[in-house]
Amino acid sequence: MTHSMAQPMIQLLAEGGVTAPSLPLIHATLFVSVVLFSIGMIGFLTRRNMIMMFLCTELMLQAACLAFVAFGRLHMDVSGQVMVIFVLTVAAAEAALALGLVVLLYRKKETLSSEAWSELREDVK
Amino acid sequence: MDHALPDSRGRFWRRLALAMPIALALTASAVGLPFGQEGTEAAEHAANQLNAHAAHAGATAEQLAALTKVLPQQAPGLSWAGWILGLPAIAAVLCMVFGFLKLRNKLPAIVTVLALGGAFVTTFILYQNYESPVTVHLYDWIRLDWSPGSTTGNGTLAAGQSLIADIGLHIDGLTLFWMLFVTGLGTLIAIFASEYMESDVGGNYARFFGAVSIFLLAMGCLVMGGNLFLLYLGWEGVGVASYLLIGYYYGKPSAVAAAKKAFIMNRIGDLGLLVGIYLTWRNFGALDYDTIFRAIANGSTGGETAYLIPYFLMLGAFGKSAQIPLFTWLPDAMEGPTPVSALIHAATMVTAGVYLIARCFPLFLLDPNALPTVAWIGGTTAFLAATIGLMQYDMKRVFAYSTVSQLGFMFLGLGVGTSYGAAFHVFTHAFFKALLFLSSGAVMHGFAGQLDIRKISGLRHIPGFKVVAYTMLVGCLWLAAIPFSAGFFSKDEILLVALTDHTHGNALLGWLGLFTATLTAYYTFRVWFRVCAGPVSYVPGDEHHGHDDHAHAAADHHPHDDHAHAGGDDHHGHAHDGGHFHPHPPRLAVNGVLAVLAIGAIMAGIPGYMSLAGGSNWVKKMIGDSTAVAGVPDLSSASGHAGHAELLGMNAHTLLLVISFGISIVGIGGAAYFHLLNRKAADNLKQSLLASPLTGWLPRALENKWYVDELYDGLFRLPVRGLAWLLAKIDSYLLDSGVINGIGRVPAWVGRYFQPLYNGVLQGYAVVMAGGLGLILVWMMLYWIAHRGGAS
Amino acid sequence: MSSLPSNLMAAMLLLPLIGAGIIAAAPRLLAKHIAVGSSLAVFAISIMLAWQFPEWTSGRFWPNNSASELALGVSFTLGIDSVSLLLILLTTFLTPLALLGSYTSVAHREREFYAWFLVLLSAMLLAFMARDVIAFYVGYEFTIVPMLFLIAIFGGDNRRYAAIKFFVFTFVASVITLSGLIYVAAARAQTGLPWSFGLAELQSFAQSNDFSDTQRYWVFVAMMIGFCVKVPFFPVHSWLPLAHDQAPTGGSVILAGTLLKLGTYGIYRVALPMAPGAAVEIAPLLITFCIIAIVAISLVCFAQKDVKRLVAYSSVSHMGVAMLGMLALNPVGVSGSVLYMINHGLSTGALFLCIGMMYERYHTKDMDKLGGLAKKMPIWAFFMVFFTMTSVGLPGLNGFVSEVMCLLGAFSARPSTALEWPGLIGPRWMLIAGVGSVIFGALYMLYMVGRVVWGPLKEPGHGHGHGHESSHGHAHAGGHDNHGLPPDLSAREVVTLAPIAALCLFLGVQPWYVLDAIGPSATTTIAAYPEAVKNYLRTQQEAEAAKGSLAGETTPEITVSPDATSATGGRISSLSDGSATSHLPISSATATP
Repeated sequence: MTHSMAQPMIQLLAEGGVTAPSLPLIHATLFVSVVLFSIGMIGFLTRRNMIMMFLCTELMLQAACLAFVAFGRLHMDVSGQVMVIFVLTVAAAEAALALGLVVLLYRKKETLSSEAWSELREDVK
Repeated sequence: MDHALPDSRGRFWRRLALAMPIALALTASAVGLPFGQEGTEAAEHAANQLNAHAAHAGATAEQLAALTKVLPQQAPGLSWAGWILGLPAIAAVLCMVFGFLKLRNKLPAIVTVLALGGAFVTTFILYQNYESPVTVHLYDWIRLDWSPGSTTGNGTLAAGQSLIADIGLHIDGLTLFWMLFVTGLGTLIAIFASEYMESDVGGNYARFFGAVSIFLLAMGCLVMGGNLFLLYLGWEGVGVASYLLIGYYYGKPSAVAAAKKAFIMNRIGDLGLLVGIYLTWRNFGALDYDTIFRAIANGSTGGETAYLIPYFLMLGAFGKSAQIPLFTWLPDAMEGPTPVSALIHAATMVTAGVYLIARCFPLFLLDPNALPTVAWIGGTTAFLAATIGLMQYDMKRVFAYSTVSQLGFMFLGLGVGTSYGAAFHVFTHAFFKALLFLSSGAVMHGFAGQLDIRKISGLRHIPGFKVVAYTMLVGCLWLAAIPFSAGFFSKDEILLVALTDHTHGNALLGWLGLFTATLTAYYTFRVWFRVCAGPVSYVPGDEHHGHDDHAHAAADHHPHDDHAHAGGDDHHGHAHDGGHFHPHPPRLAVNGVLAVLAIGAIMAGIPGYMSLAGGSNWVKKMIGDSTAVAGVPDLSSASGHAGHAELLGMNAHTLLLVISFGISIVGIGGAAYFHLLNRKAADNLKQSLLASPLTGWLPRALENKWYVDELYDGLFRLPVRGLAWLLAKIDSYLLDSGVINGIGRVPAWVGRYFQPLYNGVLQGYAVVMAGGLGLILVWMMLYWIAHRGGAS
Repeated sequence: MSSLPSNLMAAMLLLPLIGAGIIAAAPRLLAKHIAVGSSLAVFAISIMLAWQFPEWTSGRFWPNNSASELALGVSFTLGIDSVSLLLILLTTFLTPLALLGSYTSVAHREREFYAWFLVLLSAMLLAFMARDVIAFYVGYEFTIVPMLFLIAIFGGDNRRYAAIKFFVFTFVASVITLSGLIYVAAARAQTGLPWSFGLAELQSFAQSNDFSDTQRYWVFVAMMIGFCVKVPFFPVHSWLPLAHDQAPTGGSVILAGTLLKLGTYGIYRVALPMAPGAAVEIAPLLITFCIIAIVAISLVCFAQKDVKRLVAYSSVSHMGVAMLGMLALNPVGVSGSVLYMINHGLSTGALFLCIGMMYERYHTKDMDKLGGLAKKMPIWAFFMVFFTMTSVGLPGLNGFVSEVMCLLGAFSARPSTALEWPGLIGPRWMLIAGVGSVIFGALYMLYMVGRVVWGPLKEPGHGHGHGHESSHGHAHAGGHDNHGLPPDLSAREVVTLAPIAALCLFLGVQPWYVLDAIGPSATTTIAAYPEAVKNYLRTQQEAEAAKGSLAGETTPEITVSPDATSATGGRISSLSDGSATSHLPISSATATP
């Protein structure tokens, strides 16, 4: 499945060729998806606020979802949308859990900065 | 489980629990006890085999012919003979039970004496019923068979393709001869010990008699066993019994050390025996005597490694019988209780080596140099041990060295080809040496552990010790081999053959043997004149009955420290109990056994002297009816030489008689002068020898046993210890800490390079992840490009 | 074929796990009773299995049905032959005794101890029963986990280090074994056959032409790495003394008694039949290590101060003897080796029990601090001396038969193609092994007994460490912090040791019960070896001949008899034995079954 999906995408990106009627749409959608993902990633890497970081991960997730939907449309296959529903469900549960964790962490140290949590650090000997 | 005294509560259960292994052990042995399940294997084995080929190295045609006559038949009907082994086994188990129950009476002794007596009676009945050599299959032990045909049952089986050793008996003249005196002496000595050991009544008493029973069981396996593995079982079994009994006074470090030394030195010999057994199996394809000797009788000489068999076997014999180079354990073994010294380390166990060589005599003919080697070792050991015996002050040690020396004579006899002479000497020696040990034990017992011959004198005048003194005299006379004593007949036989035999004889060793005999007479009577004759005086030892804790602390005397105590002028040292000490003379059991042994010793020469019909005698007949027949002159060859051998132009018998008279007189006379008439002279002689730098080494070396122990310490013990230490260090530092842990550290070292990536900052991990993702993307692109390029 | 055997075996595997579950839920004080009870039940089932077992002298597996596949070729096939069954019996026999011996020594976290112990039992049984390499590996590997906890929680002062070392060492090595096994399976699948991890399938594939010599060689090396560590073999043994030193008594008993046997069993069952050609090429090296192990480690034992370490090192040396017998590649040696596994399990396990009992009373294993305990503990001394004697191979006790068979097998394994069962190294080297085994083996054991059991009484001082025992309330019980144990062995302890002693005696007097069972299996296992060894020797000889002038000097014993090649099924016809090179003058005798 991955293979059959990736191949046209790569072709599309590399050639920019126009061989199917829905191509402009997928082009645009994927572009939005990439932009969303980049924003999410950059945000995750640059922000220290845990809530912001969490929102950024959600952003990346949604970027992936968008790509799923786009390809589903491209191949006229519902499994892309099924996957999105699935991701949304999981993401909802995950959001509840993650926000709860964030609250817990905040209560412990009275800060939302992720830098407060670096117990795993080990000094190089 | 935290109650105060679980001991008392648990006693019943403990006893019950103890009964369980015993029951199991009995069951285990009883599984095989249906003595006489049909033992057709050996018979069929014997039935078809042996393509005789090859010329034989040492055995003459007559010897082979004689060997053919003594090959055994199957005799399943005789399976009751298994009780000779079964009775001591039962006694051993019962003694174990008694020991666990901490029985405080003499029941262990009674059981042991009854069992050993029963074994003796059984042996005697077996002897009465004996006609010709037989084998008896009792039950299977080790049975492995992997020949291709073994599954079908009629395929041919190449040699060395089965390893079969059953628990079976090989009963012939040699076996019966040996077992008669082993069980007989065992019974007598057990009776002696029942009184001698009575201060230990309790767990230790049972331990003692249990070990004695184990010893008799093992000795029975050794002598009666029908194959080499069973012999090995007995061989090691007597070793363990000896280990347990030498270390009987385990509170005494010297006893523990002596026990360990005995076991280890024996083990060196045992390895030789084991290799010898292996080679025999390899070359003759079987372990049972029947098959092996049948092959030899049919002219087989084994394969090309067969010539090594006798050398490995003799190593085992030298270990068990305390010959050079493995003799130093025997004198130390005197740390054990005296009955043990008498039974195991004088009369029976140490003769196992002689038995082995006699039993495997045909194997020793496989290599022409094997018997001469035995002769040289035996003759040299006899001489060396006798010289050491000259200067020892411990009564038991003198007799221990005399045992080594006499064993040397036996090996000399075997080496010059007279298994008859050797076996005869074993027989007579068993009696008079047991007598000597038991009488010295009685002295030791009476004088609180005193064994120093300088500290007891005039024993025959001390009330209650008359029997001891005079039975000891009999023993000494017999050991000194005065003419017409049993010791004379047997030793004479050996020396006669050594001096006159043309095939195996060795005149040099014969004369050395005669000189050794002179020394023997001297050191034997040195003891007797010192201890039993002369003015009455004594110093008790430090072994005080009732004070158990210090009872067995070593009576450690340094020969250099004290000089002459002759004449009773000793009043230093043991002042604490010197004043009120009364020697307690032996009672009925001890005296009775001594008397019986003395009579036995006196009569022991008769079977070798009295001729039966046909020019043979009883001993010859017995030994001649076994695989040792090649060493019985009259029977092995038509041209018997014993009757009319000549030596220095005279009839050898007459000449030897004269010489024996001479050496007895010289030896005993010398001892009488130095140790009875003029005791100062001995010390003066020693002092003058010590004074001269030229001769000073001699007494020193003799007193220190030629420094053999020190030599072995330096050559083996210290290097082994050092090597052990070194290897342990290598193992723990180089191998473990170095190599193994070093390998274990490699992942850590590798990981250390990547450690900075994991700095605990969340974004750091994210960057790494993104980087990874990026790398994967790049790789995918490249892959695609490469793929595309290849396609176009 | 009924499903009875499978049911019995499944019951044996499940019962300990159920027992462990119950222990986890049950009150603390009941844990040990439940553990002993369920292990006894397993023992009873194993006796039943042995009773039902029809293949005692045939060398076949039972049940011998085809694999029931789970997924991807992984099946869960159970099947035993006589050797597996003997080792199963050994395991089920020793486990209740080891548990019984731990009754008082485990004073905290009992539930964990006993539960892990039962899991361990189950894992070991699985390894012995498996006919599928994955199932085998699961059992084989899962033994490490309970053992890790037994050592790490209940061990001595240095237990963490010992546990980690034990775990990492054996785990890493057996992962290599696993990779070798998977490689064979994968190679088999690549030839178009369906995936399978069945032992028989893999072994027949590994010997087929689809597998190259190089592949065989490396697969065998990979397997030997894991198994040798477990044995433990000479250069990779160093985890064992440490683990034994730190492990609790029960753990030591099982470790020495059965866990080490997994290594030799793996070699016997998995590695040897897999790649005969490769085994023959590596065997000389392994034999060299065996001999070093026997001699050098015996001496290392002699330098130990700690009783338990000494016995642990003796295990290394003893397992060297077992490996020597196995690598003799002839029926005597291999049968002896298998018997040695059983005997070593009994005698060394019992020795560890004895040492544990001593340790419970004196809280030290240091030989410098102990001595003459025979005076205080005569019954204990009896057992200690008894098991020492079994360990040094006293005839009449069990150790002798196996030791002698291993040595005889090794002596017999001469590199001569004329022999029916040729070996690789001549008897001269084996003599050194004999010296190590017979003399040094006795040396260190007697040294230990001489110091600990005999000699003047020496007990460690009272004044250290036992703060909670403030009063002299225990004075009657020996004056030590010994959990109210009597000075000498209690009934429970005697019950622990006595069955082992009885079995040692029985196996010494009547070993043929076991030997008859081992023989056919051993012969089957090494059936392919005579041919492989002969090929190897021929190759060597050709190489020597090619070298020209040097030929014949180094391997004078090698001879090629032309009809040796006409072997069928790895056996040459015994007629060829009469050739000029035969060392056996008596070429025939009768076989009587």
